[in-house]
Amino acid sequence: MNITSAFQSIEQTTDALGGQQYIANDEIATTVYLSQQLGKPLLTEGPAGVGKTELAKAVAGSLGRTLIRLQCYEGLDETKALYEWEYAKQLLYTQLLRDQLQQTLAGASSLAEAADRLTDEEDVFFSMRFLLQRPLLRAILSDEPVVLLIDEIDRADAEFEAFLLEVLSDFQVSVPELGTLAANHVPIVFLTSNNTRELSEALKRRCLYLFIDYPSLEQELDVVRLKVPDLAPQMARQAVELVQSLRQIDLRKHPSISETLDWAQALVTLNSESLDRKTLETTLSVLLKHETDLRKVQRQLGRMDGQDDDEDETDWDEELPRRRRID
Amino acid sequence: MEERIVKFISALRSGGVRVSLAESADAFSAVDNLGVRERDAFRLSLRATLVKDAESLPTFEELFPLFFGSGEPPPLMNLMEDLTEEEANMLAQALQAFGQRLREMLERLLRGEELSQEELDALGQMVGLNHADDLRYREWMARRMQRALQFEQVRKAMQEIMELLAQMGMNKERLDQMRQLIGQNMEALREQLRQHAGQRIAENMAEQRPEDQLEGLMDRPFQALSDSDMQKLRQEVRRLAALLRSRIALRQKRAKSGHLDAKATIRANLKHGGVPFHIKHRDRTLKPKLVVICDISTSMRHCSELMLSLLYELQDQVSKSHAFAFIDHLEYITPDFQGNRANEAIQQVLIRMPPGYYSTDLGHSLQNFSDDYLDTIDHRTTLIVVGDGRNNYNDPRLDVFRKMARRSRRTLWLNPELPMLWGTGDSDMLDYVPLCDTILQVSTLSELTAAVDQLLVEKS
Repeated sequence: MNITSAFQSIEQTTDALGGQQYIANDEIATTVYLSQQLGKPLLTEGPAGVGKTELAKAVAGSLGRTLIRLQCYEGLDETKALYEWEYAKQLLYTQLLRDQLQQTLAGASSLAEAADRLTDEEDVFFSMRFLLQRPLLRAILSDEPVVLLIDEIDRADAEFEAFLLEVLSDFQVSVPELGTLAANHVPIVFLTSNNTRELSEALKRRCLYLFIDYPSLEQELDVVRLKVPDLAPQMARQAVELVQSLRQIDLRKHPSISETLDWAQALVTLNSESLDRKTLETTLSVLLKHETDLRKVQRQLGRMDGQDDDEDETDWDEELPRRRRID
Repeated sequence: MEERIVKFISALRSGGVRVSLAESADAFSAVDNLGVRERDAFRLSLRATLVKDAESLPTFEELFPLFFGSGEPPPLMNLMEDLTEEEANMLAQALQAFGQRLREMLERLLRGEELSQEELDALGQMVGLNHADDLRYREWMARRMQRALQFEQVRKAMQEIMELLAQMGMNKERLDQMRQLIGQNMEALREQLRQHAGQRIAENMAEQRPEDQLEGLMDRPFQALSDSDMQKLRQEVRRLAALLRSRIALRQKRAKSGHLDAKATIRANLKHGGVPFHIKHRDRTLKPKLVVICDISTSMRHCSELMLSLLYELQDQVSKSHAFAFIDHLEYITPDFQGNRANEAIQQVLIRMPPGYYSTDLGHSLQNFSDDYLDTIDHRTTLIVVGDGRNNYNDPRLDVFRKMARRSRRTLWLNPELPMLWGTGDSDMLDYVPLCDTILQVSTLSELTAAVDQLLVEKS
């Protein structure tokens, strides 16, 4: 596969992403291509585990660029996202360079003169040498074009979002001690959001938007075939069909693609030959991560098999005290 | 083409999608980049630039084919062509049995003629299509146009003709074939009407200016709000929430410069040999825990809904919130809000709890609360009641309310009624008053917003 530094066309985007084991549908490929052409950040939304982060990795891989990732969390601020002065190092250097400093200040006749001389040397301590670059600054200052992934932006605070706007629109930041630092190459920017809160209009306005939903049966089957080639085709289809039907049920958390893959891998590891009741019972916990979901699905599957095991599994859910636990 | 895109954008706007000027400019440069030849790429380039909300995607997908044609309606077939002379005679005879208008329509179906643009316009005029500006009317308008074309009678007439022809001795196989073709033609006409209705409505939407009387609405009492007013206010709530959020965030940031946290400062600066580079402050802002109990009977619904919407937009500013709704009994409604807008959530709750006349029973609902959910209130919780305190002469259960108020950190009552009305008729408001810490009269959205702001300020 030849690596180019930019996508040439929509078809080529699909192919290149395919080369990174990422199956992109037209929607994804077109939007990615468009975001590169317009030089706009791409905001991807969708349920957890549909491959939003994976998309950024695939784009970085197929363009041969470095991926710089900024994971957002509550309380994330500029010092963690952009830059920080390396105080400890500065302190250490002042200690080690004490002699030099004393030499510099030696002949000073007054306190004012000494201070002036010190001021002249100040630049040494506030230079790139002592600047701890955080992901955003690294993406801006990188010598080669990079892909910047700002993951789960919805977890960061609203203020951080506002700060991000400035960076995303100009790709330059000002560090008071150093002046303005502008990007050598405008990076390709991906933002992902799990939609736990509404993002600001201003941020959305600056981005292109891509909603990635759960894939269709065929698409998901393709992904499973690609990533878990050891699974027998018949089994793979059955497994994906089951996962797809699970997404129709009202569950606390629906299985994501990554969980489908984990499950497929588990089936391979356990050498399962068919999706019989026993296999399901032992492996379903890979797909479903909530006790209640698990029990609900097991009951439904039992009903589908037409087995009368409702006797011993008495609907004790219903018999729980009326008082609901809330957490 | 450009004009068409501009029209499309204004239709999106009046369909409730927020499209800024910058975004429409993006749309144009995206279209420049990918061209308009390939329909799918064109659609995606508009979609990626114009729609920034998963919830608005359906509106986009609905409007797009109306503006950039999803292709023609299915073609109509002419059955007259391949009839033998004998068969044509039979048909002509059979047609004689019907009135003038019906016959024209029947012949059109047999020949497979589409409706012309003028005919469509005339039909639209007749059913009032020119005044429709909401896609929800689409099916209805299409049906009205069908009725104007006497579809039902035509269908019956067709059956009769078929029977007549059978009596005259036409080949059964031929008849079946004809019946099928006629069915297809009718379906195609129906589709043509549907598309016309859709396109027409979309164009009306594009011409319609999004009205702007929010200022007035903000200060209109809840009782005087119409459904369309509520629609506007619902959108407004989001903006208000964003406003509140940044105010709260700022306030918290400033609050941080309060007391020096000596322990944290020493710990943070150990790596600098104890030289205090980082000053740590005690974080005084406690995110409040909320328990909201809302009256959703008819008189209170608007107020409760807007209150809940505001609170759920502000989820990230509170550490925990539990919402309850009551009319005659209490229900825990937080789960309904997951992934839903407040009005949808309230609809869901209402389905479970159909409102009846004079069934509001706050006392009983409070009893429900204290039986099942009292553990949601602790010393950090702010208890909020949204209601008018009208209890239909039921037991107000002041004892239960006193217990709840004592458990909570703060008790807040939001009442949309004027204070002078409290205590009149079946209102037990005056009995509840001494048990609450704060009572606010909120009868408009701006008062409500101010109340929520207040709520998040006082934390100490």
